[in-house]
Amino acid sequence: MASHGVPRVSGATSLDKSEQARAKERKQIESYKNLEKDVTDRIRAKDYSNATFQLTSKLLGQNPEYYTIWNYRRVLLQDVFARELKSGNDAITDTSNGGSPDAETAKKAGLTLAQQEISLLIKEDLQFLIPLLKQFPKCYWIWNHRSWLLTTATIHLPAGTAVQFWRGELALIGKMLALDSRNFHGWGYRRTVVNEVERLGGKSMAEQEFEYTTKMINTNLSNFSAWHYRSQLIPRLLSERQAGNDERRKFLDAEFELITQALYTDPYDQSLWFYHQYLMSTLDPANAQSPSVLDPCTNADRLSYLEQELDNVKDMLDGAEDCKYIYQALLDYSRRYIDIEAGNKKVTTMEMRQWLDELRKLDPLREGRWSDLEVKLGL
Amino acid sequence: MSLVAGPGRGGVADDQLPDELKLVIDKHVAYIQSLDSRRNELEYHLTEHLRISGIYWGLTALHLLGRPDVLPREGVIDFVLSCLHENGGFGAAPGHDPHMLYTVSAVQILAMVDGFAELEKKIPDGKTIIAKYIAGLQQPNGTFAGDEWGETDTRFLYGALNALSLLNMLHHQQPEQSPLINVTAATDHIKACHNFDGGFGVMPGAESHSGQIFTCLGALSITGELDSYLGEEGKDRLGAWLSERQLDDSGGLNGRPMKLVDVCYAWWVGTSLAMIDRLHWIDKKKLTAFILRCQDPEQGGVADRPGDMVDVFHTHFAVAGLSLIGYPGVLEVDPAYCMPKHLVDKVLGR
Ligand SMILES: [Zn+2]
Repeated sequence: MASHGVPRVSGATSLDKSEQARAKERKQIESYKNLEKDVTDRIRAKDYSNATFQLTSKLLGQNPEYYTIWNYRRVLLQDVFARELKSGNDAITDTSNGGSPDAETAKKAGLTLAQQEISLLIKEDLQFLIPLLKQFPKCYWIWNHRSWLLTTATIHLPAGTAVQFWRGELALIGKMLALDSRNFHGWGYRRTVVNEVERLGGKSMAEQEFEYTTKMINTNLSNFSAWHYRSQLIPRLLSERQAGNDERRKFLDAEFELITQALYTDPYDQSLWFYHQYLMSTLDPANAQSPSVLDPCTNADRLSYLEQELDNVKDMLDGAEDCKYIYQALLDYSRRYIDIEAGNKKVTTMEMRQWLDELRKLDPLREGRWSDLEVKLGL
Repeated sequence: MSLVAGPGRGGVADDQLPDELKLVIDKHVAYIQSLDSRRNELEYHLTEHLRISGIYWGLTALHLLGRPDVLPREGVIDFVLSCLHENGGFGAAPGHDPHMLYTVSAVQILAMVDGFAELEKKIPDGKTIIAKYIAGLQQPNGTFAGDEWGETDTRFLYGALNALSLLNMLHHQQPEQSPLINVTAATDHIKACHNFDGGFGVMPGAESHSGQIFTCLGALSITGELDSYLGEEGKDRLGAWLSERQLDDSGGLNGRPMKLVDVCYAWWVGTSLAMIDRLHWIDKKKLTAFILRCQDPEQGGVADRPGDMVDVFHTHFAVAGLSLIGYPGVLEVDPAYCMPKHLVDKVLGR
């Protein structure tokens, strides 16, 4: 119903299909509807058995978008968890006179028998989701169920055990993002997981996550998701390092160095320009969404970085005269320069007019934007 | 009465399309009309979890195409009400669990077919019961969960404001009643999702995404804070990001930097630009041509990209996108609600 990237083929409609194909489809529909009815009937009859649970697995394997079935699955799991907790297995058992092997394992792990059982069930369900995530990496409901399992682990299990579950997720997300480095769910889930590991483990992961973005960027420069995540980590990183202004300045210079090298590699990549824009926005008091990297940040600092980057970006024109992003950056940063120091000689109206003309030639698609910009800049 | 079952019919290849592209209105109408008669296809059954949204998509497209009566009104209302649960939430189809997404679709449909009287007749105080279900999903930090299982997303927050306002149950619409939700907390959450590049993400800290930008702007627009919050500077920054979604080669729009173009972004990006008065920052002619190239000119329906399978979701967003651009013969759409503007005006008493 909302298909993406599925090529149009002839023979997709029932009219075009052979009688044999139609008969086959009728059979598929019948078996799907029977399975659906079986699951639904059992849930209505409150048959919360293992057999019902297995049937939800089968149905979700055929149709992971069927959100109600995920809800049923959670109802079934909650029922088992509640029974475990009620059965009196929620105390650490004394196994000194030869308890069951289960009790022994549980004791070793510092869990009650009930917790041990819950932990196993959650582990199994997380496993069940792996092949589904591989096959349907963009299905909201699978990610949703995964989050629920982890959150439930946090509720029922001691922090030390729960945090191990969350840590395990980092490896999985690493693999997912290695396959599809822009997967929106993957990056979002990573943030959630990191938050939880930090909360339960009581230790910041800003440094290692920052390292991770460096690794991802080195693998593929054009990964805006990684650049964005990096931008989000920087303020925290610096405050955790208790960085003074010198260190902050060095840090900012190193980031400019990194993005400049990247831009020389590919000035036509807008992901990179957005990161350059981010670094510049940390110096822009008018951008409330961008925290300052320098502390304090004076107008003299602002002018000096604007000067440096205007020169830097101008140099990039050499050999990339047809790159519209360069002119956009020059105009944007010039405007901010003038805003701080109106009587400057760094940028001239004539130059700005030339850049705008180039931009219009190179990017006629956004002509409306350039003509608004002309008015805004008073050119 | 139920609709949908894309992916639809196979069409001609891109290179066989005529030079003079036109919106094949009659064929799209017939395509949407045909969706309910496809129970002999497995896909119809595999997409039941979207049924009520499918009706919203189909019905909105039909309204915008000037054919509001193609789907029988009684049948539509009966189906929608058959999805209502006792707790006031709607599922995607009878028997499916209640969820914010489908509750919003249900309210939008009832608003479009002027069906609130039928709702109240069948369930006394029906509007209030639905509004209370929605309000009950608000979280302490202002955002909304999709259902009792707790997943949160700015899509749900937007949906809550959309539906509550169509029910006329936001505080400013009924000041004599005590407020059902905390609007300030909700908009504060939206603001926390605002990024340095001017865009909005799915949660605080998340990368800007055109779909989430639409939901955040829509929410701010419904609460009347859009202009004062963004200001011209904020609109310029966001407009710049959004306008870069249009790609030179195809004229289509993508959802994030360096991603593929897709017809549904004609709506999400287009209407976001419209809400901040910057729709002229992209090339409308080229966008129109891209959308028209995604049509199946033989059997009707629109796909995500030229040559792909058509479906009702993309058909809806294609028509809504063309409406924004002012394509002849397509009625005006409301940018925040994605419904015919004259109907939204009527429901809201504007
Ligand atoms: Zn799409």
